[in-house]
Amino acid sequence: MRAMLRKTLLAGLALPVLLGSAAAMAGEVTLLFWPGPESEAMQKAIDAYNAGPGKADGVTVKQLLFSRQGYFEKEQADLAAGSGEFDLALVTTYTLGRYAPYLEAIDAQVPAEARSAFAPVALQSLTLDGKLYGVPTDISLHFLYYRKDLVDRLLSDPEWQKRYAEIAKAKLGREMQPKAPGDWTWDDWIVAALFFSAADNPDSPTRFGTVLQMKNLIFNVMLWQATLVSNGGDWLVDGKPAIDSPAGRTGLQVYKTLIDAKATPPGSISYEYAEANAAFQAGQAATMLQWNAAYNELNDPAKSPAVAGKIGLAPLPAGSAGHKTHVHSLGIGLNKASRAKGDAGKFLAWLAGRDALTVYAEAGGSPPVPAILQAMAAARPEFPLVGDFANRYGFVVTGGTAAYAVPVYEVLAEKFSAFWAGQIDLDTALKQAAQGMAERIKG
Amino acid sequence: MATAAGGGRRPYEGRWEGLWLLGPLLLFLAALLGFPAVANLVYSLSEVRFTGLWSPRWVGLDNYRAVLADPAFWGAVGFSARFAVVVTAAQLVLGFALVLALDPLIAKRRWLMAFLLLPMMVSPALLGVMYRLMLNDFVGVIPQYLQMVGFSDNLLGVDWAFTTVAAIEVLQWTPFAFLALLTAYQAIPGELVEAARIDGAGSWAVFRRITLPLMVPALAITGFIRFIDSFRVFDHIYVLTGGGPGTLTQSLSIYIYRTFFQQERIGPAVAASMLLLLASVVLLRLLMAQMLKGSRR
Repeated sequence: MRAMLRKTLLAGLALPVLLGSAAAMAGEVTLLFWPGPESEAMQKAIDAYNAGPGKADGVTVKQLLFSRQGYFEKEQADLAAGSGEFDLALVTTYTLGRYAPYLEAIDAQVPAEARSAFAPVALQSLTLDGKLYGVPTDISLHFLYYRKDLVDRLLSDPEWQKRYAEIAKAKLGREMQPKAPGDWTWDDWIVAALFFSAADNPDSPTRFGTVLQMKNLIFNVMLWQATLVSNGGDWLVDGKPAIDSPAGRTGLQVYKTLIDAKATPPGSISYEYAEANAAFQAGQAATMLQWNAAYNELNDPAKSPAVAGKIGLAPLPAGSAGHKTHVHSLGIGLNKASRAKGDAGKFLAWLAGRDALTVYAEAGGSPPVPAILQAMAAARPEFPLVGDFANRYGFVVTGGTAAYAVPVYEVLAEKFSAFWAGQIDLDTALKQAAQGMAERIKG
Repeated sequence: MATAAGGGRRPYEGRWEGLWLLGPLLLFLAALLGFPAVANLVYSLSEVRFTGLWSPRWVGLDNYRAVLADPAFWGAVGFSARFAVVVTAAQLVLGFALVLALDPLIAKRRWLMAFLLLPMMVSPALLGVMYRLMLNDFVGVIPQYLQMVGFSDNLLGVDWAFTTVAAIEVLQWTPFAFLALLTAYQAIPGELVEAARIDGAGSWAVFRRITLPLMVPALAITGFIRFIDSFRVFDHIYVLTGGGPGTLTQSLSIYIYRTFFQQERIGPAVAASMLLLLASVVLLRLLMAQMLKGSRR
């Protein structure tokens, strides 16, 4: 009797726990993400899903936020440990290769029909060995930002044009005339930057012709590498490092010319995104190579009174292979150790659709779907260009999604930053970069 | 004898008691320090990647050889050592000077201490972000003032990066030296100074013959703590310069972080950290020996 009573009591205690955990598990999907504008926009999309399609699917999605500081390292450690505490996770182009062994390919969740809406380069940016590992939700690429008011005057004022031609002759040794920024080559940009620098033109309305980002930082290499690819270069050719090439040499020399000529602030050697923006915002730089994300802030009269309404956007200057821009994406991938892959897959399939990404874009995201970006033109004037440039000029370097991508970026950042700062010469920088790449690729 | 010394208990009884009391601490140390130390030792002797954390491949001392043959490692060691020596010396001198100057004031107004210790309360990473703003050529206050006196170099450029990151470290941690030295200074018996003055000693003689000798142990301990802390500097330098330009401001901690997370060379990174640990243990041992020798005298 006593034994029976004990069993009954134990069963009574265990039942609510079991039922509770079963209820918590059934249809619940956790997305590991970082806090900030992306997760805020994603929450809007999640709310839309949970309130609509999620009910039919029997799935509820929630976010688990890790802090941004060291986010990728933490996510990698959790994925590598086989954590099943989350089902979906943020993936990026440059960390994809590291994460891929712990991710499930999602080709089945994103069928050809859904894929056709995306810019192909965005899908490529989350593809490794022919398999798609993430639904691209945000695209990043680069614009040439320029001061429309100043460039317009350069294109119409004979005095300015005369001075421009003199600078071109003196610095590049040839006759050149100003062109519209959309037609600029790297040389056109260099001469324009020299023209708008006080060092070469005391009458320049700005102190500096441009503002470069040369800090020892991998994101600065992503920005720089358009000079490489637009001149026909790449990271790898036939699987071997090809950075020590005429294209690599030309690309590095473009930045070096500008910093040596004081056409970019001397502090550029420690600049990244925020510092470059500050220079442009202050009205002290006439042009800037910068991420697309900067436009919204730079064109906001409250935040950037000196330059808002005066900013033009163009593709990055062209090399021998035309205009090019690095592209990378943030996306959502599926944890291989997830205990709710089926449910998580349902959400991913919905997220890859137009409805979801429209909600995401309206909440502040920049999904790489040209039709959605075009439709957002009134609220975000730069969005149509993002879609257009991704399709026309976007590239992902060979190996840009591999496991060695970040180590390679890191070695390039270190050697190139040292060259631009004058610590090592060009030959040494290229040689050491190629050697470092080979070591990182070999592992 | 045993009765008199042990209060009637036999010596081994106290030993068992001691072991029981030490047990939890030993377990705690074994779990929190012992296990990671063993794991690190294994990783430092293995080839291991994030994709195979559970299956390290034994490579013997290869990682140590690779690290010791890496010029970047020695560059980082050199930077860290130079940085630690410079900032420790500066902090001790400044901290001591502040003690001498402010002690009479603080004795009357204790609340001043809170203000003096404020820089220490800011996280080093946050301090890095603050200085990124303050050193910005266009919106930063420091370059604006420097330009007014005709100084237009960039403080994070090749020529000034070391000085700048060292100055920030000194500004943040001098309050620590000040606090530690103030405590020691206030413990100097007043009658010694008084007696010296009665014997006709001037301020300089009192400082040289009484204050300074009595402050030496505090200066040594404070210097040691600050040296170790500065040697492993990471946060504000990483935020400000990323270790650059090139590797000009790459400390050993930044080297290890980069090697581990960015280059994904886990074995060499752990080997470098083991070497750092070994150097710290040797240094600590030497200092402890000196301190024990001093206390016996």
